[in-house]
Amino acid sequence: MRITKLSLVVAALVLTGTALQAQSNNASITATASVQTPINVLGAQQLNFGNVFPGVNKTVNATDLTNGGRFDVTGQASTPVTLSFTLPATLSSGGNTMPIVSYTGVHALLATQVGGVAFSPAAGATPTLSGTGALFVWVGAQVQPATNQVAGVYTGSVVMTVVY
Amino acid sequence: MGTMLLGVPLVAQGKPVTVTGIRSVTFGAVLPGVPRVVLRTDPANSGQFDIKGPKGNVLLSFVLPLTMTGPAGAQMPLTFGASDAGYSQTQSIGSQVGFDPKQPFTAAMPNNGRASVFVGGTANPATNQRAGAYTATIILNVTVLP
Repeated sequence: MRITKLSLVVAALVLTGTALQAQSNNASITATASVQTPINVLGAQQLNFGNVFPGVNKTVNATDLTNGGRFDVTGQASTPVTLSFTLPATLSSGGNTMPIVSYTGVHALLATQVGGVAFSPAAGATPTLSGTGALFVWVGAQVQPATNQVAGVYTGSVVMTVVY
Repeated sequence: MGTMLLGVPLVAQGKPVTVTGIRSVTFGAVLPGVPRVVLRTDPANSGQFDIKGPKGNVLLSFVLPLTMTGPAGAQMPLTFGASDAGYSQTQSIGSQVGFDPKQPFTAAMPNNGRASVFVGGTANPATNQRAGAYTATIILNVTVLP
């Protein structure tokens, strides 16, 4: 009788221990992604108005391969991108300014501008990179020197942003 | 004597819980600077674990990576939203109870002892993210609650 009581006490302790002991297991899976080619933009050619004369507006067209500003873009082949621009309203020479207006743009898959598409830089554009991941963008504009425009070298920055 | 008799059923009571990784989370082609979201309800790209175990409550807890690792050790952030995990008593992707994979979640195993957990997430590539293949490991721990 005394032995039986002892056994029951021990059994109760074991039961309690088992009930508190949790079973667990785990497994893993992977997460995978294939990151495509990042966009690279190069300011390849300056927008060059050359000599301008007071009171005489001068225009450089985006189709002007010699004087138009050009950006070269590389990225993932055959992928759409969005072009946006920050366009200066004036060029500066020290404390003097000269208006720059009427921006024009052309984007093409070839550096020769063959098959190019005209667009408004102010509105931006959504072209598609070529099969080799290339895009060329030209920018033109008009400067409007005043009749009393102070002589000097005037500059400004045209910034193009490209995102997928 | 009494101890030995009771000890046998205690061992038999330990019906194991098993977890199996069924499907990876697949973000596919990702463009630099463009986040890619995979929903837990995406039948092709969401991750899936299958669970077998005794009827009753289980505690689900994930070990989640903060980044995916790519070429030359490049890292790409990986984030999980508050409803990016889902539990299904019927093992159906169309019938899930959403939960936060960053928090432990108590789920009830069905009578047949089979359930599934689905998981999604968001890959956040930088604009200059290095091109290439990226991977990470997601672990699901399942604990049978007393």
